[in-house]
Parts: sequence; C-alpha cells; structure tokens
Amino acid sequence: MKTPVKATIDESGDAMTRRRLLSWLSGFGLFGSLIITVFSNLIFIKPRATYGQPNRFSIGRPDDFPSGARVSLDERRVCIIRDGDKVAAISTTCTHLGCIVSVSETGFSCPCHGSRYDQDGNVTGGPAPRALPWFQVSLAPNGEIEVDKDTEIEAGSYLRV
Amino acid sequence: MSNHTTSSPWKSLVALPENIWQSIFRNPLPSSDLGRASTSFSNFFLHLHPVKVHRHSLRATFTLGLGLISFFLFFILVVTGILLMFYYVPSTTQAYDRMLDLRGTVAFGIFLRNMHRWAAHGMVAAVFLHMCRVFLTGSYKPPREFNWVLGVLLLLVTLFLSFTGYLLPWDQLAFWAITVGTSIASYAPLVGKQVKFILLGDSTVGQEALLRFYVLHVAVLPVVMSLLVAIHFWRIRKDGGLSRPEEEDALPADTPQTQVEVVQGPAVVMATSPAAAAEPVLQKRHYGIQGLVRGPFTKVGNVPDRSVFAWPNLFMAELVVFLITVAGVLLVSLLFNAPLEEPVNIMHPPNPAKAPWYFLGLQEQVSYSAFWGGVGIPGLEVLLLLLVPYLDRKVAGVGRWFARERLLANFLFLTFVIVNVILIIIGTFFRGPNWEFVSPW
Repeated sequence: MKTPVKATIDESGDAMTRRRLLSWLSGFGLFGSLIITVFSNLIFIKPRATYGQPNRFSIGRPDDFPSGARVSLDERRVCIIRDGDKVAAISTTCTHLGCIVSVSETGFSCPCHGSRYDQDGNVTGGPAPRALPWFQVSLAPNGEIEVDKDTEIEAGSYLRV
Repeated sequence: MSNHTTSSPWKSLVALPENIWQSIFRNPLPSSDLGRASTSFSNFFLHLHPVKVHRHSLRATFTLGLGLISFFLFFILVVTGILLMFYYVPSTTQAYDRMLDLRGTVAFGIFLRNMHRWAAHGMVAAVFLHMCRVFLTGSYKPPREFNWVLGVLLLLVTLFLSFTGYLLPWDQLAFWAITVGTSIASYAPLVGKQVKFILLGDSTVGQEALLRFYVLHVAVLPVVMSLLVAIHFWRIRKDGGLSRPEEEDALPADTPQTQVEVVQGPAVVMATSPAAAAEPVLQKRHYGIQGLVRGPFTKVGNVPDRSVFAWPNLFMAELVVFLITVAGVLLVSLLFNAPLEEPVNIMHPPNPAKAPWYFLGLQEQVSYSAFWGGVGIPGLEVLLLLLVPYLDRKVAGVGRWFARERLLANFLFLTFVIVNVILIIIGTFFRGPNWEFVSPW
C-alpha cells in the first residue's frame, strides 16, 4: 500500500497549508489589481481641466447695464439684473433638466418642460425642483463686473456699484 | 519518366481551382444527411448553428424573426457606421458641415446616413419587440433565465448606442436632446452629478461631450454589444435551443429509443461511472449521450425526433429574414431622409426641446417629477425586468403565445408595455411649447 498523498490533506480544507495560503494571496492580488485598474480608468476619464467656457468671467462695465435692465447672456448662461445701483447675476440654466430659461414678463420660463420662475428665480410652476441660483458678482480693479459661477450666494444679495 | 515530369505541373494547374476551393470548403454541396451535418459544423459561420433544429423553432408565427431582425439591423449599422466614419469628424466646428457634405458631395452619403439612422430606430423597436415576444411566450423560464438577463442588458446597450449617436450630427435636435438626457442622469442619487460630468467631460454639452460620445459610439459600445450578442447566441445553444412547449417533446408510444452506441474504452469508463471500471474493458455497452454530457437538456434518445437539418431549413429561413430586413431598410431610406435641423445654437433652445422618440416616455414622466420620472421609476423598471425570471418561477406555459397559465404575468407585462407606449405617444404628439398639452389635430 502507498501512503496517502499530500493532496488529501489539502482538500480536507481544515489546515491552512502553504498551497492554500498562496492561492488566497494570489487571488487577492489579482482581484485587487482589477479593482485598482477599474478605479484608475475612472480617474483617467474624469477630466482635471475642462476646455469649455471659464466659470469666472468679466461682463463689462456697470454703465453697460442701465437701471431696470434684465440682460440674459445666453452663452454665459447667466442673467444680469440691475436695479438702481444694485447688480446681481442669476443662473439661466433650468434646475430641472439644464435647458436655458428665457426672460419673461413675470420672471423666467423654461421652454423644455415648462418650469416657471419669478423675478428672483423662485419656482412658481412646473417641474423645477429648486430656485435658480445666484452667483457671486464683484467689481474688478479695472472697473468691470466679474461673475463667478463657482460661488453661489444667497438669493437677494446684490453688489452695489 | 519524361511523361511524368511534364504532365505533373500541368495536371496541378488544371486542378488548381478545385484544389483551392476544396481547401476552403471541405464539403461539396450536401446531398445526404451526413453531408448536411458536416457542412453545418465544418464552416466557421455555419457552425454557430446547431446541426439540427427543432421544427417549432422555425415557425415564423412563434419567433416573428425578431431576434434575427435585431441582429441583422446591428450588422447593417456596423457596416454603414464604418463607412460614415470615413467622412465624419467629431468636432463642434466641423461635424455639422460634414453632415451637409454627406448630403451634398459624398457619393451615396445621404443614403448611407438614412440607412444608419433608420436602422438605428428600427433596432430599438426590434429589440424591444423581441423582448415582448420572449416574455409573452414564457421563454425566460429555466434554463433560459440568464439569457433573458443578457437580453435586458442588450436592450440597455442598444438604447445607449442610439443615444450616443444622437449627438453626433451636432444640430439643434442633437444638442438639446443630449442636454435634456444627460441632465436626467444627473438626478441619480449620490453618483448622478459625477456620472454627468464624466459623460460630458465638462459641465455642459460641448466639444468634450462630442468627442466622448463619439468614442463611446464607435468603439466602446459596439465592442460591448458584440460581446453580449456572442454570449446571447452561445447561450441559446447551451440552453437547448429556442423554447418550445412540453408537448412538442412528448413521447408517442411507438417511438423507438434511439441510442448512441459507444465502444467502451478506458477513457469513456472514467467519464461515465466509476462502477463500470470493474467491468472488462472493450465490452460493448449502450450509452445515451446524456451519460457523457452534463446537464438536463440533452435528451438524445428520449425525445421524438421532430428536428430538421439546419442546412437548408434554418439557413434558408435566416436568409429570408436577412433579405426582408435589408429590403425594409433600403426602402425606408429611399423614401425618407434622416432629419437634420439647424446647427447648434445654444441661445435658442427649440420649444419644446424633445429627446429621441424612445426616450419621450421618459421625458413625459420627467415633466411630472425629475427624480421619480427620470431615475426612480425607470431604474425600478429595469431592475424588475432583470429579475423577471427569478421572480416568476412557475414552469408552465413555456413556448406558447399568451399561454392561459401565464395570464397574470402577461397581464402585468402588457400593462407595463402599454403604459410606456401611451407615455411615448403623449410625449411625441401631444406636447407643444413649454411642454403644454396640445392636440395634434
């Protein structure tokens, strides 16, 4: 009779043999590499720099906007409102599905799904889930108004010029 | 001696065409069953098919050829798509001009674009109808559960392929449909905003989005699609062919038991049963094929042979479906031109801005609630579709249209289909400026 071969001990699965340990370690290694690869690819395809329009831009001198003006800069996707000596910038990107809202008599209205907003950007109808955000407006040293779309501010806060 | 040296090159020259032909096609056109069988499995393209196929699977009224139509439309899309790639540039400044060039200067350009466009719409419809056929005939029941799951994934990839292609002409239709579509994605909890940003490569639809959609459309998604299609087809074979009712396999009393005779060698003994090892080698025994192959589906010898040879029955049927599909696409492409609106003008969103027709049901839902209409309910619907074969475990009414035993399941599924069709019809015809209700009459 032959003595029982070593393989039977391995398959019983109770003892942590060297083969078992190495299998686990290589399994973890391969699986781990796969996870790292997937995440690296996600990091790769998420752009670090964008090539489109900058989010901080100058819109011209305060005199370009007479009192009572509501000027929609569609390409910048903001509406500049001037009331006396107060200036503010409201987003014209509909909070519903990203269409550009148009300036209407009562405020803003969206052509895509019929969301309506009042003069200050508060939702008055339609499926929009929240109000249009207001963006930070500042006066640059050269006297031009600068809008920063990365910084949202409280609705109703104006810049005095 | 001299005779031999002069005639040999001449002889091989004469035999050259035949030798080349035979080196490619090992079988002559089959005239016997053996020939039909070996033609099927010795040809690369034919060997994807079974050598024999059940008569029930060949019934046009059972399958309606919808799976084949979907595949052939995909084939047409690959061919026309590759041709269009020769002239297309994924750049915001050039894409639209290239569309005009396809109309004006490229030979057959408008025709190829029409074919690509209509085949794409047709494929969305065919894949969806194929899903309806599979459901209403109860064909997702075991052992075909996983192939149903693959089918649902294929529907999603089809929709995503169509959606990414929608942006490429860079006209108003494209721009606003993608603006709306990607905003819907951003409503997904936790990852929505990130998904939108990664998909567009920017915060709004622009050059980066066009490039990304192009790469997805011409490289990533077609590869995913081809892989899934390959597994889908392979699984049909491994799951025992198309579904059919039990009674198609019922055993009439007078059916002789056909069995495969295996001359036992040591290897066969090992494969079948260890007990047989004790018996003398080279003793003749009878084995059914099921003794050698694992799984419950290979019922050789237990079923009446209601199958026919794939050559020519199945191949002829496939050829007919292919010709009908091609003819249909050609006809529609001759009659109707693919739409091309004005070039992108972000200052003037069309009112109303509408998504592609197959997403208009979604857009209609979105007009009630962005999260529930755009993400919540569609997500639940996809989840339920994926789980269908694991929720409905009753094995009855398989392989028949509208089986009585499946009344409830079919009723629920048809409700889902009809509600979605109604939503699409409302979104397409009954929605006007500001998404307000209008009458098309």
